[in-house]
Amino acid sequence: MDSRLSNSSSSTHHSNSKKRKKNATANNTNQKTLGVAWGSKSLSASSCSSRKSPFSDFSSYMAHKNCKLQNQFDSEASASAARKPIFSGVSIFVDGFTVPSSQELRGYMLKYDGRFENYFSRHCVTHIICSNLPDSKVKNIRAFSAGLPVVKPTWILDSIAANRLLSWVPYQLEQVASNQPKLSAFFTLKSSKMSEDTFTNALCQVEPDVQDSFPRVGQLKERHPSEVGEMVEVCRQISNESNDISSKKTDVFMMEEPIGERVICDEEKLAEANSSETNNERNTEGELDPTYQEPSTSFSIPCSDNQNVHQFPSSEATGSSKQCHSTLTDPNFVENYFKNSRLHFIGTWRQRYRKRFPTLSTGLNNGISNSNKSDIKSVILHVDMDCFFVSVVIRNKPALFDKPVAVCHSNNSKGTSEISSANYPARSYGIRAGMFVRDAKALCPHLVTFPYNFEAYEEVADQFYSILHRHCNKVQAVSCDEAFLDFTDAMVEDPELLASSIRKEIYETTRCTASAGIGGNMLMARIATRTAKPNGQCYITPERVDDHLNQLPVDALPGIGYVLQEKLKKQSVNTCGQLRMISKNSLQKEYGMKTGEMLWNYSRGIDYRSVGIIQECKSIGADVNWGVRFRDMKDCEHFLINLCKEVSLRLQCCGVQGRTFTLKIKKRRKDADEPAKFMGCGDCENLSHSVTIPLATENVEILQRIVKQLLGCFYIDVKEIRGIGLHVSRLENADTSKQGTEKYTLKSWLTSGSASVEKQKYHMGHNKHNSDCANCASSHGCIHSQGSSFQIDNKILNIHVSGDPISTPPPLCQLDVEVIRNLPSEVFSELNEIYGGKLIDFIAKGKGKCESSSSLGNSLEDDAATCKEEDLPYSDPIPLNQIFSENKAMQHERVLGSGHGSCSQVTHNSNIERDDLLPSSLSQIDASVLQQIPEDLKAVILEHLPAHRAQDFCSTPAICPGRINQDSVGVDTSKNCPGTVNHALNDSLWAGNLPSWMDKFKDSSCLRKLGEIYHRSGFNSQLSSVLPQFLSEFHHLDLTQEIYDETVNIMCELLKQYVKVKIERDIEEIYICFRLLKRFAVKSQFFSRVYNDIFPFLQAAVDDNYGGSLFMP
Amino acid sequence: MQRKENETPQGQAASVLVEFLEVAITAVVFLKGVYPSGAFERRRYMNVVVQRARHPQLRYYIHATVSGLLPFLQKGMVDRVAVVFFNTDNVPLEKFIFKLTVNQSYGSAVEGVDLQISLRSFLAKLSVSESLTKKLPPDCRWEITGNFQLLPETGTSKEANSWIPTGIKQWEQPPFITPIRSMSSDPLCLQFYIEHPSLSESPVL
Repeated sequence: MDSRLSNSSSSTHHSNSKKRKKNATANNTNQKTLGVAWGSKSLSASSCSSRKSPFSDFSSYMAHKNCKLQNQFDSEASASAARKPIFSGVSIFVDGFTVPSSQELRGYMLKYDGRFENYFSRHCVTHIICSNLPDSKVKNIRAFSAGLPVVKPTWILDSIAANRLLSWVPYQLEQVASNQPKLSAFFTLKSSKMSEDTFTNALCQVEPDVQDSFPRVGQLKERHPSEVGEMVEVCRQISNESNDISSKKTDVFMMEEPIGERVICDEEKLAEANSSETNNERNTEGELDPTYQEPSTSFSIPCSDNQNVHQFPSSEATGSSKQCHSTLTDPNFVENYFKNSRLHFIGTWRQRYRKRFPTLSTGLNNGISNSNKSDIKSVILHVDMDCFFVSVVIRNKPALFDKPVAVCHSNNSKGTSEISSANYPARSYGIRAGMFVRDAKALCPHLVTFPYNFEAYEEVADQFYSILHRHCNKVQAVSCDEAFLDFTDAMVEDPELLASSIRKEIYETTRCTASAGIGGNMLMARIATRTAKPNGQCYITPERVDDHLNQLPVDALPGIGYVLQEKLKKQSVNTCGQLRMISKNSLQKEYGMKTGEMLWNYSRGIDYRSVGIIQECKSIGADVNWGVRFRDMKDCEHFLINLCKEVSLRLQCCGVQGRTFTLKIKKRRKDADEPAKFMGCGDCENLSHSVTIPLATENVEILQRIVKQLLGCFYIDVKEIRGIGLHVSRLENADTSKQGTEKYTLKSWLTSGSASVEKQKYHMGHNKHNSDCANCASSHGCIHSQGSSFQIDNKILNIHVSGDPISTPPPLCQLDVEVIRNLPSEVFSELNEIYGGKLIDFIAKGKGKCESSSSLGNSLEDDAATCKEEDLPYSDPIPLNQIFSENKAMQHERVLGSGHGSCSQVTHNSNIERDDLLPSSLSQIDASVLQQIPEDLKAVILEHLPAHRAQDFCSTPAICPGRINQDSVGVDTSKNCPGTVNHALNDSLWAGNLPSWMDKFKDSSCLRKLGEIYHRSGFNSQLSSVLPQFLSEFHHLDLTQEIYDETVNIMCELLKQYVKVKIERDIEEIYICFRLLKRFAVKSQFFSRVYNDIFPFLQAAVDDNYGGSLFMP
Repeated sequence: MQRKENETPQGQAASVLVEFLEVAITAVVFLKGVYPSGAFERRRYMNVVVQRARHPQLRYYIHATVSGLLPFLQKGMVDRVAVVFFNTDNVPLEKFIFKLTVNQSYGSAVEGVDLQISLRSFLAKLSVSESLTKKLPPDCRWEITGNFQLLPETGTSKEANSWIPTGIKQWEQPPFITPIRSMSSDPLCLQFYIEHPSLSESPVL
């Protein structure tokens, strides 16, 4: 019952009387705009007040106003009881919208003895408070802030909470706060803000030259750009230093002088591009000059046009700019990162190696069995280059051979770059890999450091391996500079002689030394090499094994790392001899079966491994633990996308797919300071989450989705992230996994019960196809393993189809009318030609029949398949659908014989899934299990539920907690009125995580589009936000596609459901949708029909709920 | 927006709503230009700029009316609150309707911030909705009406007594509805729309 009441407590107001009262204040009509924009209203304001005219002009008015505001503030402040003067001396100016509002902030300032300025002034304001800044202000931050700190409002709140004035630094606005130097400064060569620095005027002029030279240098060597990046990085650190130097009043001219020279260098460089080697030498000599120990040495080497030197000054230029980067600003961070990573070089080296020596590495496998069974004394040679990374770099600089040299990213003696490799002279000073450069320089002030030269490494490694392969056909590569050779079969007379000849050859070719160890097995060979180093060789004959091992410290054994060593130490085991005292059983008890056995074996010099078994990698991944700084989620996601790309690429390179995905995150410890290592990860907690999916993949999109989910598991503030790694394990060979998908997919499991049905159905086409595709299938390594399902890879099929467009078409009687009818017109006409025009008759005949048979509810799965194929025609990430599409493509092939695989409309009707193994009622399904299932799989399961079951299931709110609109979750199916046009459609199209209408639409290409768009928007957006996009994409579809009644009906039904869901709680959304629809109706016949059909229903619904009709202008 | 801890979610929502309605109704009245704009002054509410009536009587009327709604809102008895503009013949010309649903079974605490953001969007939208409304004749009047699901029993409370039946006529035909803004959160669900008379009974202006 509606009762209409009006409040008696007040008389209704008559506007006329009111007007009269307020006439007195007519002056105030300006009031509304006065405060909005002072600048533009200044004239009216001053003219307004000019009657009294206490102000001669605007500025005096403002001065007066400010004064008055200050007085107001003061009086208010004195009125409010004096609390703790937290903000004494602080004067804030609030810019723009903030939470809490500026008025609240003002209140706080009043209370806590601060000041609040209404108008910005450089002189009174000490802090600018704002939550967000427009880009223009960020770009020109100095003009905006006049150098004052720009702080987030939480600073004030937190200060009050802490009851003391906190440092504003952590609260600095992220947009502005890039006070920490960031990585991409090294990668990007931009240096715009030069002018800030006082002493760089000269540099400024030089700068363009430097930049110009980059591309040229890039032409000189393929890999050079990455080197440049790296060196710029090196330089960046130096530049920091050069700032220091100048502040220490070092002679500025000294800085300037080399700059001029550098310009010369540039030119020289161009002239003598090819003579870099000699230049290198010259340069290094210069560097060794003891008078130039300062990091800026390289600046003052006259006329040295070595690359390094050449780059350093440029860094100085870039460094002087305040540009700071990291993951924050470099869009290609991940790519660049790996370009400059040594570990990455080593990691991917094997990849290249295998490609370069493919036959050799496969040839090994044949020999393995021999060596295993043979009793003859085996001879294993282990070759290892001596301090590879250094010796390669200095291989052309004999002068440096006996000088301490190290390789690292930075040449800065204060730098926190880590030494990656040091040569033996350097090691004698105690310099070890992993040490900071500054520590190393402290130990050895005349240490010469070099940056990496990946190109050279690659070259030398290739030379190294071609030598090895020439001598032996059984080579197992361990790393780019280390390999095992098996000479057992070669019946070598004197292994030592052989080893020395190999070493000699290596030295002569590469000018780098190698050490070799010979032993009866891989273990002993390796241990021998250890003794042989540097530049020597050692043969441990079987007789000498025991002697040798007895005194060997345990950590020399491979597989014994720090942790294990510590454990052994506790048992007072330091040498292998002591280790041998312990029984195998107790070792296994203590350290586990495998490790225990390994310890027992190794301590006795027993090693069953045989050369040539290349260990398949168990996991592939990528870690980035340096330079990782994120501002917000978006940065982080962007980074992850790139990381996924990288990992996906690596997977593809290796030709494998993985099932388990692990995301590792290094999170800054709460109390950790900024890391000592420049841009390093510092003290971090290591967190990791992983997920295993049922089907292996390398698809980058799936990876991204998984990673996003995984990241969500951490509940971490992205600002705390210092490192991220993504690893893929449970690897499967890409080819086999594709074949194998059939075995593991849900589909095959579900359909196994109905295999016979399917078999009959496809029998004809199948056989035929077998012969058609026989060659393609075999050549691509695909097989038919089960009669009931086709296993031809979608990809391959498409290749085949396109490569062989005209195969004999199947007889007319085999064609599916429904399929033909739904073909795009151009495909149809083409097909019609093939059949000599008979197709049209065929369609006409079949029309009646097919229309009756094409009930809307049928063939959900097939529709899904169609859709999916359309989505990703060549790389379908969802295996089930892949099979669908395989089936479909197959049938398509059968029907069409011509390749338009991705745009055809194939709906082979089947009720296969009706008599499947799925439980027939919801009660048999554990919803909690379903929730845990990955999204795509869930969708498949839901697809496989027959319509009535799906309905029950979808409307269970538990399935989708909080993922979709709350509204649609709570739909009560019983509420929906039955008796709508399509009974085949169930009444809860909008229910469920994946609204069930998504399935229904897949037999209509235009509406499928809507589903796709909706899918893209992530299911949780409202229809109104999806519709406009749909329309723009729909437009061309509308022209080519005939409009079918069903399509209109489905669309209507969909909208009706939506109205039902939303009308009660969100009439605005309905209104927007229908306004849009009406607008579309003008352009599109389809929508005009939909709109006309649905409009009465809409109005009825609105009338029911609101007692009126929606006003559609 | 400091709320007492011991209040029920419905109570919290209702008191926020009352505050909001006072501001929103003032905004509607300002928007329709019934009074000269000088009758209002700019204030900040929920961090957006709103208008506040300067005349104490006007301010009091709006304040008292919506405050009178509070107990009924808490019980979920109020179906809708309308600002009705009508002509001298008591024929309504335009109604601004707040259709309310306070979920009585909602148990957990109200997220003040979320509610605030949602309500703020109403005020923001309203301020730009002038084009959706109709121009009113010069001598129109307005009042606030509340549609109750049950007639409050007179005499039960002071608030109930303050409500009298409205003298405004009803429209013969169902009106046209122009939605302005919707909000559907728990425990408060709010639809804000304008009603105009259907074309057939276009009132004499």
